[in-house]
Amino acid sequence: MRNISSVLGKLAKVVSVGLMLLFAVTMSHAQDAANGAALFKANACQSCHAVGKELTGPDLAGLAERRDEGWIIKWIHNPQGMVDSGDPIAVELKSKYPTMMAAYANLSDDDIRDIIAYVKAEEVKNAEKQTAAAAGGAEGGGGSSDATTLMILGMVIIAVLAVIIIVVLNRVIKSLEKVMESNRAAIEAAQAKNEEYAENRLAKFAKAFLRNKKLVGFAVLGLVALLAVAGWNQMWNVGVHTGYQPVQPIKFSHQVHAGVNQIECQYCHGGAFKSKNASIPSANVCMNCHNTVTASDHYEGEISPEIAKIYKAVDYNPETKEYGKNTRPIEWVRIHNLPDFAYFNHSQHVTVAGIECQTCHGPIETMEEVYQYSPLTMKWCVDCHRDTEVNADNAYYDQLIEAHEKLKKGEKMTAAMIGGLECGKCHY
Amino acid sequence: MKENILAMNKKGFLVSVCAAFALAAVVSSCGDGKTRSTGLEFSRNMYDPIAYNPDQPNNNFSNKMTAQLPPEGTTPIGFERFEFANSVEEYERAGRELANPLAATKVNLAHGEALFQTYCAVCHGKDGKGDGPITLDRSIEDSRGKRNLENFPPPPSYQKSDGNPSSRGGQMSDLSAGKIYHTIFYGYNAMGAHASLLTPEERWQVVMYVQELQKK
Repeated sequence: MRNISSVLGKLAKVVSVGLMLLFAVTMSHAQDAANGAALFKANACQSCHAVGKELTGPDLAGLAERRDEGWIIKWIHNPQGMVDSGDPIAVELKSKYPTMMAAYANLSDDDIRDIIAYVKAEEVKNAEKQTAAAAGGAEGGGGSSDATTLMILGMVIIAVLAVIIIVVLNRVIKSLEKVMESNRAAIEAAQAKNEEYAENRLAKFAKAFLRNKKLVGFAVLGLVALLAVAGWNQMWNVGVHTGYQPVQPIKFSHQVHAGVNQIECQYCHGGAFKSKNASIPSANVCMNCHNTVTASDHYEGEISPEIAKIYKAVDYNPETKEYGKNTRPIEWVRIHNLPDFAYFNHSQHVTVAGIECQTCHGPIETMEEVYQYSPLTMKWCVDCHRDTEVNADNAYYDQLIEAHEKLKKGEKMTAAMIGGLECGKCHY
Repeated sequence: MKENILAMNKKGFLVSVCAAFALAAVVSSCGDGKTRSTGLEFSRNMYDPIAYNPDQPNNNFSNKMTAQLPPEGTTPIGFERFEFANSVEEYERAGRELANPLAATKVNLAHGEALFQTYCAVCHGKDGKGDGPITLDRSIEDSRGKRNLENFPPPPSYQKSDGNPSSRGGQMSDLSAGKIYHTIFYGYNAMGAHASLLTPEERWQVVMYVQELQKK
């Protein structure tokens, strides 16, 4: 009894010591990586480096296998110095990447070891993500193959059922024909009677209906009213494109860009600040982000087909990151078509009046595919102009008041003084 | 008999009117009001412009676009030439030779801030700390399902208190006006050129605001 308890006691000790050691090891490891992550962020390493993707600097995945720790520490402390001293790896890096990495002499050797631990932890995380995705993919594949077998089975069942029904119907028709053969005379008599009766009923109904003038009048009135309402509505909607949602050449989602990413409308449509047109951005504006953002996470490592359309338009090679000369325009379909006889200026509304884009264009930031929100009819413009108070905190009104003061005082005012010499007054 | 038929008739009429209304209601509520077509149009030629709109296709030019780039070597009205090339040496030279030509007024600074929030804050963050919305983790739910969106690599912070170095030497908080202007014009590393988005005056207003952020 005593023996057993002492053995158990020893065992418990061993286990507890082992557990503590394990705990300590994992803790210290976690601390390394966590500190590394913080340093990686605080020193803006992530501006140029990622684990699993090449950005401005090289992909850090496999860093620890590629280079030894001493080299990494030396490089981070003084990259330019290593190039100058003729280190072959440093010289090769310099020739491959145009941007020279900044020196981080402030990082201690241990800090750098923590960062390396963080990079390793990220590699493990990425690998886990990939296996999870692969498993998910396999599952999804299994699901879809199940669906196809189910579909094939269903179709076979339907085909068999159809054959059975045809056979049964054929039999029924044959037996019915036999019955008809045997009772031909009786059937013909009954048919004649039936026809007579039906004719009689219809004729009686029509006569009765026509005789009731009120009812006829009411029916005609109803019909006319119905047509009038339908026609009236139809006519009001001639040339009104509310809800117009054409298919665009690229599936650009405003929900992603303006909604989730919170990119200001004018980042792309800067013309709304200073010109008549809100301007469709040229593709170089797209490339400001899509030089790095390819959404390849969602396309098994390939570039998203929609983003690839931008690359095609600007003739950009994502492998070499170089632009060619063979550019072609993206032919977006215009949604908001104001007739040519109406003049509308975006800058007057956006910059001067300070109206939000959403006032006219609706909840653009939630639209995956844009449609025309407002009717853009004259009534719609006029209604808003009737209610909107003028923002008079504006140099234009200062000048206007000044001109009025002058007139009141009886001072001389020429056409030239109120803009009569502006080119556009005569030449447009 | 006659009475009987009429009674039936009235009932039938009522039923058919109700049915017609129900049908009309159902038909008119069909869909979500969005359509691929522009619907009925009257005298379309009064709507289409005679002159070309800037975003319209145009067969008169070889690239079929109305919006043409200015010929090389010309300077558009309201723009001035930037006499520095896109290289590290020229960047350094711009840093030495250029100074902000705008007076440090409240109006210029306010414009600079507004422009910064529109054109820069999406990556650089509203205070220039490199934490703009597209550098942070975010997810979306739409017709393609729920998914995470790719993060844009966050730029280093301008603020002195963060002490981030620039990849072209020195601290981000010590970048001179000319260097910042050069970077806005040509872009650098992950940042694209923003010359087409801002006029020279606007660029200098942004530079003025960035230099305020550097002091933080």
